[in-house]
Amino acid sequence: MQLLKYDVIILGSGIGGFTTAIHSSNLNKKAKIAIISKLHAMRSHSVSAEGGISGVLYPEINKDSEKLHAYDTIKGSDYLSDQDAVELLVKNAPKEIVFFEHLGVPWNRDQKGIIQERPFGGMSIPRTAFAADKTGFFMMRSLYDQVQSLPNVDIFHENFATKILRTKDAVGVFIIDLATGKHKVIYGSSLVIATGGFSRVYKITTTSHSTTGDGIALAYNAGASLKDVEFVQFHPTALVPNGILITEAARGEGGYLLNKDNERFMKRYASSKMELAPRDIISRAIITEINEGRGMKDPSSGLEYVYLDLRHLGKEIINKKLPMIKEICIKTIGLNPEEEPIPVRPAAHFTMGGINTDIDGRVLDIELNHINNLWAVGECGCVSVHGANRLGSNSLSQCSVWGRVVGKEVSKNTHDIKHDDLKELEKLAEEEELRLNVLFDKKGMYTAYELEDEMREVMEKHFYVYRNEKEMKKGLDILEKLLKKSTNLRIQDKSNIFNTNLRDTLEFINQIELAHAVAVAALNRKESRGAHSRTDYPKRDDRVWLKHTILAKDGSGIKINYSDVKITKWKPEERKY
Amino acid sequence: MKTSKYFAFFYLSMGFLPILFFLLLISAFYSYMYFKELLILIGLDLLVFSILGGLEIYKRSDKVKTNKLVKNYLSNVKNDGYNIVIAGFDIKSKEIKQKQYKVNINKYTSVLDAILDVKKAQDNTIALRYSCRMGICGSCGMVINGKPSLACETNFIKVAKNNVVTVEPMQAHPIVKDLVTDFKDFFDKHSSVEPHLIRENTKEQMTGKTPYDQKPDDTNKFLPYSYCIMCGLCNDACPVVNSNPEFLGPQALSQAYRYQMDSRDQSKDRLTAIDKLTGLWGCEFAGACSKACPKGVDPASAIQLLKMVSISDDLKGKNDGEKNEV
Repeated sequence: MQLLKYDVIILGSGIGGFTTAIHSSNLNKKAKIAIISKLHAMRSHSVSAEGGISGVLYPEINKDSEKLHAYDTIKGSDYLSDQDAVELLVKNAPKEIVFFEHLGVPWNRDQKGIIQERPFGGMSIPRTAFAADKTGFFMMRSLYDQVQSLPNVDIFHENFATKILRTKDAVGVFIIDLATGKHKVIYGSSLVIATGGFSRVYKITTTSHSTTGDGIALAYNAGASLKDVEFVQFHPTALVPNGILITEAARGEGGYLLNKDNERFMKRYASSKMELAPRDIISRAIITEINEGRGMKDPSSGLEYVYLDLRHLGKEIINKKLPMIKEICIKTIGLNPEEEPIPVRPAAHFTMGGINTDIDGRVLDIELNHINNLWAVGECGCVSVHGANRLGSNSLSQCSVWGRVVGKEVSKNTHDIKHDDLKELEKLAEEEELRLNVLFDKKGMYTAYELEDEMREVMEKHFYVYRNEKEMKKGLDILEKLLKKSTNLRIQDKSNIFNTNLRDTLEFINQIELAHAVAVAALNRKESRGAHSRTDYPKRDDRVWLKHTILAKDGSGIKINYSDVKITKWKPEERKY
Repeated sequence: MKTSKYFAFFYLSMGFLPILFFLLLISAFYSYMYFKELLILIGLDLLVFSILGGLEIYKRSDKVKTNKLVKNYLSNVKNDGYNIVIAGFDIKSKEIKQKQYKVNINKYTSVLDAILDVKKAQDNTIALRYSCRMGICGSCGMVINGKPSLACETNFIKVAKNNVVTVEPMQAHPIVKDLVTDFKDFFDKHSSVEPHLIRENTKEQMTGKTPYDQKPDDTNKFLPYSYCIMCGLCNDACPVVNSNPEFLGPQALSQAYRYQMDSRDQSKDRLTAIDKLTGLWGCEFAGACSKACPKGVDPASAIQLLKMVSISDDLKGKNDGEKNEV
């Protein structure tokens, strides 16, 4: 086992992880910074972000304001977002768009060179800057390329973290180097978790295969609490049958949603915003249409869907602003959106909840105390800007804003590691090595793959857009059984070199824990708010449920606690579009 | 077999046409500038390289084992339903071994879907890279039925020959296991060409509040080259990379061009660093990279344009790399 000392350790290499690395590196040139990624670092799921990044760029021209952006975000969140965090987001987001411009992102500009902004769901004014429909990709490439110029940042490609090791003053990560199977401990004074969400616990999802929430599960097992994990965003327009994201920008540019009768059905659900209502509302509308028999059915997968029609936009807009959508449709389902409407249905897309953090990104335990030396950035952390439902394009700004906030914090938190701490870390690492060896050699009953399929079916069936007590209880029962079965696994691949079987198994163990947490939290919240919509409690209940759900691990069970929603200027009101 | 040879000859002869044209242009240019020695040098250089390049493609076409193997294989196989042949690198015997699996396919199934189904249900040990499954992360580059491709955006039925699809790892990167290859060298080459905007005022770059000036026309100069997803397929297809590991390769060079052409960039050293035989002058203009790129980046043209930029900068005395060396 190799021990490597760094000052700042960043787990995850998406937009959150990379921005943290760049800012901490710039602020503290002496700090040694490690980025650990289970993929090649430039391939993280952030590359799949399509539509754009929100931020008020031209208040003097279009009468937009930070206040309005904050209000839209808070109303979109169904009043569950912490308003101080939202204010921080909207204040800094414009700066971040410029920051990415300075790194080389080719934002779409008008003839004068002014960065253009497009309309997005739930935003009352166009305020989403974009680089065609590959915004996340361009941001990721610029970040990765910028990191190449930083001498004090090392990237560990394809190193899979299995455990967070904590002592009083030190923090470390136990990792498996996939290429060689060798174990390593990277330790230091600060650890930033930036590993993204866990939408892969669902069967049909817009997210990449790697979005398994490993960092959240690791933090959860290291004593951190989880916040608001019952809120899972279903993106209304995922391609049928493979679930690939068809960006909200397709509707922002003017696309229609149509049912079987060729009707723009959104007029019955959100008459003023139509196709640009927030995602939770459109997802419910689509599922209602399907349930009432106005959807269509794909014979090969059995999935029901509605149409997203872009034909009237014309070739020029599609080629200039939505080229990737066209490419994806043609390459994966052989359909040209210029000529035919696109079959879409809601699919798991974003997990609003995650590791409970304060406004500076510091990780909290169930009593809301800081956990030393631990931060979380991006989708994996829940700083509560998205509340019960995220508005499209706010996620990229969240990652960049808190990347800077946390980068600054960790650049100051560099200290020497004492001998005692190191000894303790070594001991913890040995325990982890033992656990992995047992898992590796165990001749268990199940493979992770069969259990994983079952878990995904359950989540899709019992914890989808509409939920109710009876279905969720059934689902929770199966998940609990799966959780037990997950201690009885076998790994077929016994080699050390690039053992994806071992990786998949560890990922499944992480996912089943998170799926279980989602189920517990969802069953517990007896109201409908944002993305959490219960047919047995169809109304929002501010009297009882205007609070965050906090979960923590308690032996093999789960403890539940609550924390207040921070309200500064905007009192909860009815949410209508 | 024969077809691939013809293909190579075709390439060999076709390869000369643009080169002749290029030579014509350059000779006109240089005779005007009275740089006779340089003209002969470059002319000879290109001539030798194009012949070498053609020979290399010819050799490689002979070496493309899969096609041969697949053909032999097909004659022995009964075609009941769809099959996938994974010609992966076996870590025990240290050689490529072929395994055949039956797969359930519908009209939407991608080659990646098929491999992952096999991995889940038939052989958990198969190693491959994959992530976004929408052609943007660049993980799943491999050789599919002899052609370097992304597995996630290759439709199974469309590429199947006699209901069989054969996949094998890329050949220009060292192979680790099954379909996984080692990207270290590839990443190192990328990072060696200063692939980022260089600004004199770095503090302003990190914290400044106003965007740099850039018009759509400026953006369009580099935009086509900014779609690179670093999948490695262009390097895999490049005959020069395959024969000379020192060559920077189409990926790194196209990215050097991308940042060089960005009006916001203020780099002084990028061109100097790649102005060498293993850099931009190593390209023999086979064009295989542009054909292989799944994202429509045209590295071959980027490199030729980069040569132009380098020469014109040289003549203008902007690029003082050579002079420093002398």
